[in-house]
Amino acid sequence: MGRFLRIAALFFGVVLVIAWSANSGPSEGSLEKIKKRGYITWGSDAEGGAPYVFPDPKAPSRLIGFEVDLAGAIARELGVEARQAQNAWDSLIPALGRGDFDIAMNGLEITPRRQEKILFSIPYYVYTEQLVVRKEESGIEGVNDLVGKRVGTLSGTVAQEILGNIGGVDVRVYSGQVEPYEDLSLGRIDAVLLDLPIAAYYGRPNPKLKYTGAPVGEGFYAIAMRKSDGDLKKKIDEILDKLVRTGELKSIYERWDLWNASQAKLTLDKKASSGYAGVEESKKAPLRTFLPGLLKGAGITILISTASMLLAISLGLVLVLMRLYSRPLVSTIAVTYIEFFRGTPLLIQLYILYYGLPNLGVVLSPVVAACLGLGMNYAAYEAELYRAGISSVPKGQMEAALSLGMTRRLALRRIILPQALRVAIPGVTNDFIALFKDSSLVSVIAMVELTKTYSILAATTLRFFELGLIVAFLYFGMSYPLSLMARRLEKRLKAGMR
Amino acid sequence: MIQVRELHKYFGEQHLFKGIDLDVMKGEVVVFIGPSGSGKSTFLRCINGLEYFQKGEITVDAVSLHSINRKRPTREDLESIRKIRLRVGMVFQQFNLFPHMTVIENIVEAPVKVSGMDKEKAVEMASALLKRINLEKKLKSYPSELSGGEQQRVAIARALAMKPEAMLFDEPTSSLDPEMVGEVLKVIRGLVEEGMTTLIATHEMDFAKEVADRIVVFDNGNIIETGPPAEIFSSPKEERTRVFLNRVLKKD
Ligand SMILES: Nc1ncnc2c1ncn2[C@@H]1O[C@H](COP(=O)(O)OP(=O)(O)O)[C@@H](O)[C@H]1O
Ligand SMILES: [Mg+2]
Repeated sequence: MGRFLRIAALFFGVVLVIAWSANSGPSEGSLEKIKKRGYITWGSDAEGGAPYVFPDPKAPSRLIGFEVDLAGAIARELGVEARQAQNAWDSLIPALGRGDFDIAMNGLEITPRRQEKILFSIPYYVYTEQLVVRKEESGIEGVNDLVGKRVGTLSGTVAQEILGNIGGVDVRVYSGQVEPYEDLSLGRIDAVLLDLPIAAYYGRPNPKLKYTGAPVGEGFYAIAMRKSDGDLKKKIDEILDKLVRTGELKSIYERWDLWNASQAKLTLDKKASSGYAGVEESKKAPLRTFLPGLLKGAGITILISTASMLLAISLGLVLVLMRLYSRPLVSTIAVTYIEFFRGTPLLIQLYILYYGLPNLGVVLSPVVAACLGLGMNYAAYEAELYRAGISSVPKGQMEAALSLGMTRRLALRRIILPQALRVAIPGVTNDFIALFKDSSLVSVIAMVELTKTYSILAATTLRFFELGLIVAFLYFGMSYPLSLMARRLEKRLKAGMR
Repeated sequence: MIQVRELHKYFGEQHLFKGIDLDVMKGEVVVFIGPSGSGKSTFLRCINGLEYFQKGEITVDAVSLHSINRKRPTREDLESIRKIRLRVGMVFQQFNLFPHMTVIENIVEAPVKVSGMDKEKAVEMASALLKRINLEKKLKSYPSELSGGEQQRVAIARALAMKPEAMLFDEPTSSLDPEMVGEVLKVIRGLVEEGMTTLIATHEMDFAKEVADRIVVFDNGNIIETGPPAEIFSSPKEERTRVFLNRVLKKD
C-alpha cells in the first residue's frame, strides 16, 4: 500500500506542475500581432467537415466550405490572409485558450457554458437541429418520439444536450459527421439529430434517408476568441456586421444552399445574446455527478478489454500451433496473419471491420466489432509470445515425451505448452495492461467507453482537467492491480521451476 | 529382438553411417563404446525413431522401420515408430524429466495418457517403482529439488513404467557428479540381472566389462569391432580400439 501511495503522490505532483506551468496563457494584443504578421489563423476541423470546411473533392489539397469563404472575407477586411489551423472539433476551445490559433470558427454554438471560457462574436449563422430517419421509418415524427430509440449525434454538440435532456434516449455519440448517417442507413441506429447544415450535406443526399419533424433548438453560430482579445472581438463584430449589411454573407450562404428564413434574425439580433438556453449548469455541478457516467464507461472498458483479451489468448494459441506444427500452407497463412496484424495500425483495422465490412454486406455491432478488432490484433502479439515460450523449452522435452510413446499432439498439450505458457505469462499480462489502454481506440467506432465518456463530458463542460485526473485514476486503478498480479505470478513461476 | 540392416544416415553432407548391421537377442546386454562423435547416440536414437535415416531397415520384434519422408511422414510410418517406442524405453544423458510435474506425475503421465491405465493403479505401480530405486520419499518433489543422480533414477523409473521389452541408455551417467554415478549404475545393474534387453552407450569401462554380454566399438560412424568384453578389453583386434581403450583407461 505504501508503494501505491508514493506512486499516486508522484503522479499528482507531476500533473500539478504541468497544470501550473501551462497556466501562463497567451500574451495580449492579438489584433496587432495579426496585422503585423499578415495572416490570421482560424481553428477548425476539416475531417468530415462539409459543408463548413472540408477538402475539395476535386482537389483535396485545397479546403472549401462556407466557413472558408467567410474566413476569406474577414481576412480581406482585416487586410491580411486567412490560414486554417486543423484541430479536432472536440478540443477547439481548449486549443484556442492555449493559443494554438487566433480565432475558432467551426459551427460553434453560442452556449452559456462556452461563454464563460471564451468571447463570442456576434452570430454569423442561425442554425436549427434537424432530425433524420430512414425512408421507411414511420414511428418517429419529432424529437418527442425518440424515447427508447437509438439516436446518433456528434460529441459536444447542442444536439447532444437536447437529446440528453429528453431523457430515456439511447444516445450514440460519434466524432465524425459521416459515420452517424452511415450507421443510420445500415440500421445500426434509428435516427440522427444534428445541425441543419450537416444534415443538408450528409443526410439529405442519401436516398435511404429523409428529414422528419420541424427543426428544433434554434441557435447561433459565432466566432470564438480568447477572453483577453477584446479588441479583436470588436473588430470582428464590425466586419461581420458589414458582411450582413452588404449582403455578402447572404450570397455565401446561397452559394452553399444554406440560406433560409431563419437567417433574417442575423440582422435583427446583432447582440450576442445567449442563443441557446435551458441547459442545466453542468459546469458548476459537483464532480461526483459525473461519476456514474464515468464508472459506466469504465465498466464498458473492462468488458471490452476482457472479452478481447480472451479472444486474443485463444486465437493466439491457434495461430502459433498453425505456424509451428502445421502443413506449410497453413503455416504460411498464420505467418501472414501475424505479420499483417502486427504491421498495420489497429485504428485502420477497426475502421475496416466497422465501416469497411458493411460494403461486403457484413454489418457488425459496435461491441462485436470492438472485441473482434482488439482481439484479432492482440492475437498476433500473443502468438509471438507463445512462440518465444515454445522455443525456450529444451528439445529434450519433446524427445522424452515421444520416447514414452506419446503422440506429438499429446506431447504438445501435456509437456510443451504448459512449460511454454509459463514463460509467456508475464508478457501476456503485460499485453493485457496495454490492451486496457488501447481499448480507448474503439471510441472511433461509436463505442462509448471510458476515454470516450471523458471526451464527451469534457467537451460539453470544458472541465478537461478535473475530469481528466479522475479518468486517469480510473485507468490506473484498473491496470495497477493487473501489474501487481503479473509481478507476483512471475515470481511464483520462477520459484516453481528451474 | 532388434535387427539393424544396412543402416545409412546422413547429417546434411556428412555420411555418418555407411551401412551398419547389428542383431540384439532378447535378454542380451550390449554396450556401445567409442570416441565422442563416433555415432553411438545417433545409433540409439535411430532405433526408437528420434533420428530419421536415409536407407536401411530397423526391426523391433515384428515392427519394421524404413527410411521415411521426414517432412511428411505417413500415418502408418508414425504408427510404427510409436509401436517401437512402446516396446523400447529410452534414458537420456540430460535426464529430460518434465520440470512442471512432480516425480510421481512424471512417472504416471505416460501410463495414464498413452496406455489408458487407471490413475490409481498407475500411482500404485509408480510407488512400487520408486521404492525399488529408493526414492519413495520424494514422490511429491519437483525435479529441480532432486540431485542429478536422483533425477536420472526417476527417469529410468519413468521409462520402466511403460513396461518396455528393451531399454536404451545414452550415456546415463555422463552428466552426473562422480559420487552419484554408482547409485544410477546400481539401478541399471538390477535391470540387467532381471533379464532386460539392454543397449547402453557409456564411457564407464568397468561397468561395461561387468554387465555386457557383448561390446560394440564405434569409430567415425563405423562398427569397427564387436565381441565379448573379455576379448575386447584384453586383446582387441583393431589398432583403433586399442588406442581408444588406452586413452580412456589411462584417464580413469
Ligand atoms: N543433429 C545433428 N545435426 C548434425 N550433425 C549431428 C547431429 N547429431 C549428431 N551429429 C553428428 O553426428 C556425429 C555422431 O554424433 P553422436 O551420435 O552424438 O556421437 P556420440 O554419441 O558417439 O558422441 C558427430 O559428428 C556429430 O557432429
Ligand atoms: Mg552421445
